[in-house]
Formats: sequence, C-alpha cells, structure tokens
Amino acid sequence: MKVKRSLCIASDLSELERLHDAVAELGEAGDWPPDLVYQVDLVLEELIVNTVNYGYDDDARHEIEVTLISDEDVFTVEIIDDGHAFNPLEDAPEPDLDLGIEDRPIGGLGIHLMRVMMDDVHYRREQNKNHLTLVKRRNG
Amino acid sequence: MEIKTQRENGILIANVNGRVDSANAREFENVLSSAISDDDTCVVVDFGGLSYISSSGLRVILLVAKSLRNRNAEFALCSLSGPIGEVFKISGFDKIISIYDSQAEACAALGG
Repeated sequence: MKVKRSLCIASDLSELERLHDAVAELGEAGDWPPDLVYQVDLVLEELIVNTVNYGYDDDARHEIEVTLISDEDVFTVEIIDDGHAFNPLEDAPEPDLDLGIEDRPIGGLGIHLMRVMMDDVHYRREQNKNHLTLVKRRNG
Repeated sequence: MEIKTQRENGILIANVNGRVDSANAREFENVLSSAISDDDTCVVVDFGGLSYISSSGLRVILLVAKSLRNRNAEFALCSLSGPIGEVFKISGFDKIISIYDSQAEACAALGG
C-alpha cells in the first residue's frame, strides 16, 4: 500500500518535530523496521538543518517542500528548497574518519551519514531550486 | 531530553534520556557541560534512555570528549541502542571514544 505525506515547512529548526512525527507515522503505516525509520528520520534532519543553516543569505522566511512516500519496498523522501545550489553528493567534502580525537573537526558529518545510510540519492537543480530525492530500500 | 547525573566511586555518570536533535542540541551541550565539574577525572555518559541522536548531538559529544582529553580526564559512552551505535560507527566515533555495552563495564574500565 502506498502512503504519501506532503509537508510545506518554514526554514526553521522548530519544524523538525513535525518532520519527525510525519516520518514516524509513515514508518508505522508501512510497517518499516525501526532502525530504518531512524535512518530516514536522521538523514532528513541533517539535510533540512544544512539548508536552514547554510542555504540562505537573508533572514527571510523560506519554504521547504518535503514529500514522504512509503511504498511496498521503498521509502522515499523528496526535498525541494530555494536555497543556494547545493548538491550533497558533490559539494561536501568527505570527512577524514581516521583522524585522532584532537584533530577531528567539529561538524561535517551530516552529509557523510546521508551518503552511507541511503541506498540512492538523486540531485537536480531546476528553476532555481534544489530537488533532492533520498531512497531507502526495505532490503537495501 | 533529560540528563540525570550521579557520582559513584569517583566517576561522574550522566544518564541521557529522550531525543537529542538540532532543535535541542544547544541545551544538551549546556546541561552536559555544566554537569561536569573541573574536578571530574572520569566521566561516563549513559545513552541507555536515548531514543534518537543526530550529528548535532555527536558534535556535543566530540566537544566534551576533546575538552576532557585536554585535561587528561577519562571519558566513555555506554548502553547505545543498535541504531545509535550505528550512527557512532559510521561517524568513526567508535575509534576515538571508548564505548561499552553497559554502565557497569564502562565504570569498571574507567575506575579499575
């Protein structure tokens, strides 16, 4: 059974709770394993936070469209924002995970978590908007 | 998110419950940092009651770990659930921070 939720959120961290609730709701509706729902929840947060913190030059209220789709074997998240062009597959450096504790920089892990946790990530820039699609497979 | 602390045999134990995300990571940082006194030489953070943590929470753990390392205090985490342990592993934190299955094991390792 296909279940879809579309949310239009403000570019503000206070919206995270609403996103977490929606992911949890779809996770339950599609009977997804809790570990997988956790990863979808986390990766969505990482990307939204990235956009809210670094995506805009002004303090204006921007809208971010988030669509969650739970299908038979695939959990899909689509994010559309009007922030700076940012392709998380190419525009973020890989962190050096072999550095010792003194040398490890603070931050820079969110996009790495996305790359490892998601089965597929697609990015395109269209009409001055970032379109990002995250795919997590039930048997990924 | 809630943090309860106690001191046992010279070890500060901080039990973290609930969720740590980008919306409350600053609060997590403030509460955890102020719970650790400059005199504490052994600190265990117990994540047994933690249901969720994102990279914003990892950032706080790394800051605390660095600051304790700077003054030669010992630091360990324990009782991470499956998905939370996975987040630490993917981030490579399991290589730079001691992680134990239980609070008893963490305390034995630090105190013993």
